[in-house]
Amino acid sequence: MSRAYRINVRESVTRQIKGTDEIGTKLELLEILPPETMADLLRRELIAKGFRENDDGTLAREDKNATVTVDPCNGEVTVKSEIGKSVTEQGTRDATAWDDVGPAAQTIEAKAREQLKAELGQKIDREQERLQRKASEKLERELDDLKQELGEIVNKVTREALKQKAAQMGTIQQISEDERTGSMTITVEV
Amino acid sequence: MEGLDAQADAAGVAMIATGTVKTVSKFEHDLLVVLRHIFGRAAPHQAQAILAARQPAPKCLSRACIELVKDTLAKGIVLHLVRAGGWRNEPFLKDGEPVGGRVWDRVPLPIRRPVFSRSVVELLIWLTAERPDAANDRRLHCPDPTAADELFFALAYDRLRGNPDWQAGLRIRTAFANNPYCWLLSPGDFAESSPPDFAPLFAGARAATLECLQPELARRWIASERGKRTIADWTEMKRRGSAEVAMLERYLAAAEAAGRTDLARWVLRTLAATLAAPAPDAADWIGGLELNAPARLADRLAIQRDALAFPRQMETLARWDRAARAVGYFDEGYAASQLWKEAFEAANGTELLAKSKRMLEQLDPLRN
Repeated sequence: MSRAYRINVRESVTRQIKGTDEIGTKLELLEILPPETMADLLRRELIAKGFRENDDGTLAREDKNATVTVDPCNGEVTVKSEIGKSVTEQGTRDATAWDDVGPAAQTIEAKAREQLKAELGQKIDREQERLQRKASEKLERELDDLKQELGEIVNKVTREALKQKAAQMGTIQQISEDERTGSMTITVEV
Repeated sequence: MEGLDAQADAAGVAMIATGTVKTVSKFEHDLLVVLRHIFGRAAPHQAQAILAARQPAPKCLSRACIELVKDTLAKGIVLHLVRAGGWRNEPFLKDGEPVGGRVWDRVPLPIRRPVFSRSVVELLIWLTAERPDAANDRRLHCPDPTAADELFFALAYDRLRGNPDWQAGLRIRTAFANNPYCWLLSPGDFAESSPPDFAPLFAGARAATLECLQPELARRWIASERGKRTIADWTEMKRRGSAEVAMLERYLAAAEAAGRTDLARWVLRTLAATLAAPAPDAADWIGGLELNAPARLADRLAIQRDALAFPRQMETLARWDRAARAVGYFDEGYAASQLWKEAFEAANGTELLAKSKRMLEQLDPLRN
């Protein structure tokens, strides 16, 4: 008389998963002064806003949701959001065999282990997708705040450049700035 | 037509000529119906029934059939090109100088005379004997195609692509996937492959063909661009947009290299028509997207930018305009530069450039 044996397999899969998203844009800086001077003004303004200079001349800042990198020479901005973590999924699976030893039992056990691994892999893939969505959401949240901040930086650099340009043209008699509208009037005696 | 004559000689005498009426076999009749259908001159239901069925192909075609094929091809292709735009009195560049008139005034007969190879007859036999989605492609090759061959293959593809199964069966074949006219008409169908080299299109008979097709290309692309808002699937938009960008960039680069910017007027006209509104909105292109959105913002932005394939080309067209303005009266290429400058001004190019930039900025999350 044959007897059925239950084969129990246990597996654990560990994988390092990462969700990344990144966008790039370019700051629209008017060519009021030579490019090197404009880049210098931008660099100073970015440092004042908490950016740190990298070895390659770019400036970067790690915000809550993303890392912002600006190249002051060409105004290119990169905003990158990255989340990574190690995920371990464990599980068990039962299979039935007519023998408790021998090639048949080994085949069934290997097959069950393979299926279990695939199942755990799918779970990790779902977690990866979730992480990816989270990274993209974080990036989108960062952009809302950053858009305004970058606009202010560009305005400030433009105002400073205009002041320097006016000083080059003659003696500045008066500068009036309206914080509310962002307008600025410079009176120059040439 | 030398290739076709050779086919007729091999065909034997499977015909009975009675006065001016030529008698052909059932297969040959079906082949002629398919041919007429490709030129839009046969009842679609009749041709589609033939295309959807299989039948054994004869070893050769009769002389009567070949004569009828030659006659239909010669008349059909000329009629198509004339109707597409060859009748228009428009200036095009010839040896760097603008030449006006209709196509038969501008282009000498030896260049504009259509020459077909036997590949065309082989295509017709294949379409009549097999289904367009058949896996068997032993008889569907187009080595060293002539300008007329390429145009005919493109017309055949364009006529049959409405059936999704046939489209899927045809677009994987190199005779269509490497055909520059197929790419100009429906690049999205060939998104899995790279655009062919467009350089040969800007010389000889192919350039004359392209001159005729300018209004037709503009008309089709205006309709296509206006229909983009109905695309709901991000995957579909990605496929179409990326292929359109690849095609346009390669085409414009080839036109510039050949000094035939006049053959890019259809791109300018498409943009003039689709950006005619005072403040065109990117949503008119991408507003319908809602299905299968990619998770990554970067991917979504890339698809949206590709969807604006035509507005993205305005930078290139404006660069040509700037270059044209820099050419002095006594400089070489003055007449050619004036032709592009006139076209750019007629299309309100400066305004189109500003509108295109605004639309692309709408897609920039740090600017809009």
